[in-house]
Amino acid sequence: MALTTYVEAIRQGIWEEMEKDERVFVLGEDVGIYGGAFKVTAGMLERFGEWRIIDTPISESAIVGAAIGAALMGMRPIAEMQFADFIACAFDQITNFAAKSRYRWGAGVPIVIRAPSGGGVHGGPFHSQNPEMYFVHTPGLKVVCPSTAYDAKGLIKAAIRDPDPVIYFEHKYLYRRIKEELPSDDFIVPIGKAAIRRHGTDISVITYGAMVYTALEAAKELEKEGIDLEVMDLRSLLPFDREAVLDSVKKTNKVILLHEDTRIGGFAGELASVISEEAFEYLDGPIRRITAPDTPVPYSPPLEEFFLPKASDVVRVARELYAY
Amino acid sequence: MAEIKVIMPQMGESIFEGTLTKWLKKKGDRIKRDEPLFEISTDKVDSEIPSPASGVLQDVLVNEGQTVQINTVVAVIGDDLPASGTLEGAAPAPQSRAESTEKPVKTREDRSPEVRSSPLVRRIAKEHEVALAALAGKGTGISGRITKRDILSYIEQGGSVTKTGLTPPAAPAPPTKPAATALQSSALTGDGERVPMTAMRKSIAEHMVHSRRTSAHVTTFFEVDCSRILQAREKSKPDFERAGVKLTVTPFFVQAAASALKRFPIVNSSLDGDTIVYKLAINIGIAVNIEGGLIVPVVKSAGEKNLLGMARAINDLGERARNKKLTPDDVKDGTFTITNPGQYGGLTGTPIINQPQVAIMSMGGIKKRAVVIDDAIAIRSMIILSLSFDHRVIDGATADQFMADIQKQLESWQA
Amino acid sequence: MNLKAVNPQALSGGTIQLTTPPPEKTLHSMLYFMKLTRELEFRIERKLYRQGKIVGGVYVGRGQEAIAVGACIDLRHEDVVCPSHRDMGAFLIRGMSLRTIFAQYMARKTGATRGKDGNMHMGDLNLNLVPFISMLADNIPVATGIALSFKMRSQDRVALCFFGDGATSRGDFHEGVNMAAVLKVPVVFICNNNQYAYSTPLERQMAVANVADRAEAYGIPGEIVDGNDVLAVWDAVARAIERTRIGHGPTLIECKTFRMTGHSAHDDAGYVPHELFELWEERDPIKRFERYLSERGMITQGGIEEIDKRINREIDEAIQIAEKDPFPDPEDTLKDVYHEG
Repeated sequence: MALTTYVEAIRQGIWEEMEKDERVFVLGEDVGIYGGAFKVTAGMLERFGEWRIIDTPISESAIVGAAIGAALMGMRPIAEMQFADFIACAFDQITNFAAKSRYRWGAGVPIVIRAPSGGGVHGGPFHSQNPEMYFVHTPGLKVVCPSTAYDAKGLIKAAIRDPDPVIYFEHKYLYRRIKEELPSDDFIVPIGKAAIRRHGTDISVITYGAMVYTALEAAKELEKEGIDLEVMDLRSLLPFDREAVLDSVKKTNKVILLHEDTRIGGFAGELASVISEEAFEYLDGPIRRITAPDTPVPYSPPLEEFFLPKASDVVRVARELYAY
Repeated sequence: MAEIKVIMPQMGESIFEGTLTKWLKKKGDRIKRDEPLFEISTDKVDSEIPSPASGVLQDVLVNEGQTVQINTVVAVIGDDLPASGTLEGAAPAPQSRAESTEKPVKTREDRSPEVRSSPLVRRIAKEHEVALAALAGKGTGISGRITKRDILSYIEQGGSVTKTGLTPPAAPAPPTKPAATALQSSALTGDGERVPMTAMRKSIAEHMVHSRRTSAHVTTFFEVDCSRILQAREKSKPDFERAGVKLTVTPFFVQAAASALKRFPIVNSSLDGDTIVYKLAINIGIAVNIEGGLIVPVVKSAGEKNLLGMARAINDLGERARNKKLTPDDVKDGTFTITNPGQYGGLTGTPIINQPQVAIMSMGGIKKRAVVIDDAIAIRSMIILSLSFDHRVIDGATADQFMADIQKQLESWQA
Repeated sequence: MNLKAVNPQALSGGTIQLTTPPPEKTLHSMLYFMKLTRELEFRIERKLYRQGKIVGGVYVGRGQEAIAVGACIDLRHEDVVCPSHRDMGAFLIRGMSLRTIFAQYMARKTGATRGKDGNMHMGDLNLNLVPFISMLADNIPVATGIALSFKMRSQDRVALCFFGDGATSRGDFHEGVNMAAVLKVPVVFICNNNQYAYSTPLERQMAVANVADRAEAYGIPGEIVDGNDVLAVWDAVARAIERTRIGHGPTLIECKTFRMTGHSAHDDAGYVPHELFELWEERDPIKRFERYLSERGMITQGGIEEIDKRINREIDEAIQIAEKDPFPDPEDTLKDVYHEG
């Protein structure tokens, strides 16, 4: 069976949901005739027509606002931000209108906002960001960050079917690098469930998105030294799989929190708090964070290389923690 | 300059090992002679150890938390760095990543500074009733930290500590209580927090019980009129202050004791099996209260000091004891001990002899009391001195004569 | 502002002359809802608020009643209204009960938001009423999306979206109107130009003379109407709806009016020249409409008093009930953040 790339998995997921449910539609910049900046919606215009694959003006706030309006009328819109960086332009609609609607007046806003995020593609400060934490801090939203083709498909389908607003961060670096064989039947990946990508006994590396691969690469390296990493892929940040995190920490007793997002206010901080509040007496060493530094994402390759957390960082910190 | 080896000092004659609790310098640091280099904890004393030489700390051979025998080389001090000009090359490399500025988080260490562990290790220890102190120096983690592996293997080998004492890992394993039971029973009995003894505390405990078992303790009490020494103190105070010495009443008592010990050498003796050993020197230990216990620095050759010398020696020792700056020599070779619970208002005490000595004098508080002098009631500053002596070698009559000698000296003190 | 150019009758307190005015029943409804709006807001702002029974802020639309009433009176149930904070008439016409509204203002569990949100932030999907939020103009893209969903499904429905003059300074106005224009969706944008955004007068809000002037930039019709003439509003909105129902896209209707109060109940509007209040008092939409009806023999003084009595009775009853309504349970705080299946 053919291997499916991460980007194709997203496309398949949307396509299948649109075939199945006519309420589902896509709106965004260049999603129609061009098929999306990353070709996620390629071929859809021909199949579903211009009123289900809607090219819009460059108006992120209106794209999300319109998605909200349509969702209130029973539709299942998928709003595409061409780059996750531009989601800032729609911040108000997302955090004030969409996130609070159900709470205020009982009207759910079942929208999906797709946001191609992440660095490693030399995109510079405005095409490389990981803005997930603005939204993780907003009650009423859900935030997912798939790392595999299977999850990319399973989570986009789950997001489309979810009754609440879901922000779907798809990692650009993984689009065509990651491929796997996917089952042919209809499946979803439940929002809020983590996956263990590698079982280990010595240190838990808890991460998400492209950093899953960084952790796995480090685990391979450390295996030679007899250090056995457990790699957990959170998959969802809001809600996140608290139970899985605590279980892993209770098993290994040492934890590294890894993300591509910057440090202060990053998800690692929240995880560290939860772990120290709920599993303090299971810790056999300090909770360690590996994150990008608190800077914008730089453009030039040596700078970006420096900025992004690397497998060697995980190896170094894991060694320190193992010896601790 | 050749390499200077820094050793674990002997902090008292009965001491054979010490725990290095903290490095105050790290490898590569420059250090001056007498600058504090590390801290140790032994059965007798917690102390800051000064560097024996100036130079660069070339090598650190003993980790924090590790216990080693005395005279073990713990560090090497090498030649000073070359003169400036080549210093540039020694500048630290720039940090490669933001993470590299991280240091392992320091956790509060189980109440005893020498045992480093982790929340997990403390929980396991609590559940298995293991005193972490039993693993002191045996940790394999960074800085001798007790890791999960350490404590689990310790428990696996049968190591566990009951409330009354240590069971070494080699001994047969006593049944370990499951955590739930342990928690429940402590809840029922109202136990509060369980805190392992520090090395110092354990040492004091051992010494006290040992002394009680060894000597036939008898205590005698004498009331002494302090009017004369207080007058003498007032009179001498300004002169002493000019000499930079604060004059308390203690030196008077130490001097009187030293003088009496000359006349009653049996009180300045010790017992070696069936043999009484009369000590040549009169070295009087003064018990000093410090954080976490007490320590007894010794005024050497007390019989040869005048009041100023005595006061200076006592003040110096007290000061250094509180600042953890005592040297091993300072706590060695005592032949008689004076303790002063009176400073906190105690009337008198029945002290335990500091082995292998045979007597210890306790000073109560000085207080104005109504006393009858020539059938008249007078107000005098009185103190109750007590002497605990080892009846194996000292008879009651001798002890009382000794104390009467001190009493007479103090009451007739000529300023 | 040259209102005369728009509506020559306005200055004399008259109304426009329509060749086909609404039927008499509709006219009576218009009067009832304008008067109900005024009395309801009067009770909230001048009575309950001052009695300490209202929780939080109060923003009323005194003097602006004709706009929501004229725009909404003929809507079909399936049409959707996105009101702004001075469009109480829209809520009433869509069928929100007085008790629900009072309970909302008194932060009760029976209010439109069950105590989760305050004052005019009321909505009800069953009434096709989508609530406004405090971020002005946010409802413009939302209304565009609502209309888009109609167009996508070929539904014969329209969306009405209300906002003030101040909201047109926000980017969401531009993004929303532009996108609606580009996609030609069935939405009518209605601006209540009441001349002040809180304390900021119109000339500090925009450099064009009229909000409607902006329509040209979006390639849609813009129309200025006398917002204090309920029939003028009714007529303009009816034409815009007709236009949009047949697929010609949005219209921007600017209703010139005046805010006869401060921004909110705690604002004495000291920054508004007093003459302006006097001038606009003469153009009071209710008085004008009463005159229109009585001149045509459609209502008597007694009939007007009858309406007032009915309104007072309805309001008194609703207040009585709402005052006894329970506050939400503290633990309701945690509910409804997400779908609770």
